[in-house]
Amino acid sequence: MDTTIRELSYAQAIQEAMAIAMERDERVFLMGEDIGVYGGAFQVTGDLVHRFGEDRVMDTPISELGGAGVAVGAAVTGMRPIFEFQFSDFAALAMEQIVNQAAKMRYMLGGAVSVPLVMRFPAGSGTGAAAQHSQSIEAWLGHVPGLKVVQPATPHDAKGLLLAALEDPDPVMIFEHKLLYKMKGPVPEGYYTTPIGKAEIRREGKDVTIVATAIMVHKALEAAETLASEGIDAEVIDLRTIRPMDRETVIASVKKTSRLICVYEGVKTLGVGAEVSAMIAESDAFDFLDAPIIRLGGAETPIPYNPELEKAAVPQVPDILKSARDLVNGVR
Amino acid sequence: MPVEVILPKVDMDMETGRISRWYAKDGDAVTKGQLLFEIETDKAAMEVDAPASGTLRDISAAEGATVPVGQAVAWIFADGEEYTPTGKSDATPEATPKAAPAEMESAPHPYPLPAGGEREASASPPPSSPRSRGEDAGRQMRGNDEAPRATPLARRLAVKAGLQLADISGSGPKGRITRRDVEANIAVSSPMPAVKESLASTADAPLHAVWLRQGNDPSAMPLVLIHGFGADLNSWRPLFAGIQVDSPVLAVDLPGHGSSTRDIPENLDAVAEQVERTLSAHQIGPFVLVGHSFGGAVAATITDRGNADARALALISTAGLGPEINRAFLEGFVGARSEASLMPWLKQLVVDDSLLSKPFVNATLAQSADEGLRAAQKVIVDSYFADGTQTFDIRPALASLRIPVRVIFGAGDRIIPAAHVAGLPGEIATHIFAATGHMPQLERREQVLRIIQELARATA
Repeated sequence: MDTTIRELSYAQAIQEAMAIAMERDERVFLMGEDIGVYGGAFQVTGDLVHRFGEDRVMDTPISELGGAGVAVGAAVTGMRPIFEFQFSDFAALAMEQIVNQAAKMRYMLGGAVSVPLVMRFPAGSGTGAAAQHSQSIEAWLGHVPGLKVVQPATPHDAKGLLLAALEDPDPVMIFEHKLLYKMKGPVPEGYYTTPIGKAEIRREGKDVTIVATAIMVHKALEAAETLASEGIDAEVIDLRTIRPMDRETVIASVKKTSRLICVYEGVKTLGVGAEVSAMIAESDAFDFLDAPIIRLGGAETPIPYNPELEKAAVPQVPDILKSARDLVNGVR
Repeated sequence: MPVEVILPKVDMDMETGRISRWYAKDGDAVTKGQLLFEIETDKAAMEVDAPASGTLRDISAAEGATVPVGQAVAWIFADGEEYTPTGKSDATPEATPKAAPAEMESAPHPYPLPAGGEREASASPPPSSPRSRGEDAGRQMRGNDEAPRATPLARRLAVKAGLQLADISGSGPKGRITRRDVEANIAVSSPMPAVKESLASTADAPLHAVWLRQGNDPSAMPLVLIHGFGADLNSWRPLFAGIQVDSPVLAVDLPGHGSSTRDIPENLDAVAEQVERTLSAHQIGPFVLVGHSFGGAVAATITDRGNADARALALISTAGLGPEINRAFLEGFVGARSEASLMPWLKQLVVDDSLLSKPFVNATLAQSADEGLRAAQKVIVDSYFADGTQTFDIRPALASLRIPVRVIFGAGDRIIPAAHVAGLPGEIATHIFAATGHMPQLERREQVLRIIQELARATA
């Protein structure tokens, strides 16, 4: 391919993806609170309203349920809406449309309709926004058959997964970690997609597999570098999609390393790591495990406002280091 | 708390052992490490040492009794510790009278008593399903009803290798068996690798030899190393570990050892001839020859024959200077099949047994699992050390040598007595290291290396 690769921020990469999509396909349009002249709570839509007009970059009232209902209806009737929540936490207000309508229609109408809906959820903690604006609720939606749920960890994947989501005939939920919006990384120009349902090995290693999502991928990679200096060779897998999950990549990795750590920001119990762990325990990788599986997930608490407590409520690099050392050194 | 004396597992597939002899009796003061009793299995006799110091009490298995592995056969009470009857082992419900709960409750007891409170020695073999009560012993020996902790991977590897988890000691948390533990056991119990098939089977073929070091100065006179009985060329590696040497170093596997032929030549001359052929195959010019123990006798013979250009000779704990040799060691060493039965013999080699590293023990064990190798070494014992006697004499050879010779011994050698150096020709230098056993190259590594290097430099 004849494309140039530049450094873009994660937010710029998403904006570019939406612009490309709108240029390519007139059915694509954006909906969300303050995404028009304000440019979005996290400035992801930016000046798109000036390029594409208010008919395609639509500010919605402060009613997530109403907005989501419009988006589902538009998708069912042939449009390609991209609906932005200001904070992923507010998905709670729109659950009826997401879970009972978008996820069910294809099934309940015998395949007569599909819901090609894309929803974007600024997610996660670390911004001092406290308990109602800092959650990681991807596992809620990952529990719903009929939805696809992705968590891009890099600018490249943020663009590629958004374009892949638009190609998908079914509703795709994109969780974007707020702390990643400013992260820069190489992004090819033009149109490309990143496959949904395919994990990416970010670092190859032989001693321990670290399966991570979203911002935890970067924490895992940082930990892996430290571990390498100690002679522990960690493999870091960016899960990228939590539903449908890429079992093959994780199973193959665990078979190679015999040890597994899952790192995710969502609440530990009943979370993404629980699914990865159980999936491995059920798979033929079980016979290759040489140590217990470790889950590093969010604390069993609402995200605190106090910055130090906020940090302590989600896995950090030292937690990953300790777990990997314990596993490899036979302490756990 | 009193320390339990249990019947140890000395063999992989051993389930019971017969106590053939007690060396201490009830009430005796014993010290840790002291010989307590001897057991017999169908394969071996094994001595068991006291696990602690104190007073031996409550011997529950008389001489001749067959006892399940892991069962307590006696207790040792520490000095000053009040003696309370421990009750005999709990493995014999039908052989013991009804429990006497009232009595048990009235007497405070250091250990929970089993259903049978009797503590008279029972000569009848108790039925199976033993359980040791001491926590440490329980962890170590694992009663039959306690499944070993093992990771899924360890279990799979053990099944594949035909190993019983119960025979593997786990290094993980709570004694969990991991891949590392199984692999260590595979290394121990599997026969030598495929090299075996390529072994030279005729006496004419050169012996297996490896350049351990290329040497910093390739023009320096090479060192040729000949290991002792039961070892192989790898046994020299620790001597040079992490050390830069000027001389290239070639180590040879003797017949019946390492990867050399399993055919044992009839006499030292024939062994020497094989080594000579090996050296010329490696195009060795003038060299410094170093031999340990049996290898020392081979080295002296080579030097005496004069076919190879040995310019100096270092003999470490050499054989061939006198008739005595530790016969029990030779037989025990060759017969040992498990770490438990091998370790006591390996400990005889050195004064400080902390020098017996795990790799060393594992390597030795791996050899003991090789039937062909063991058979060959038995032939050596039967011919060269027949009836516990060194049947060869290198003194005449040494007397006629006109090259520098150094003889190195450990004063505490329990295999070949250091006293054998007496009466050597005056021009032969002898070095006797105090508090050193049969392995000066391991126990006095720096000094031995220095002696060898001095010899090499003086000769060059």
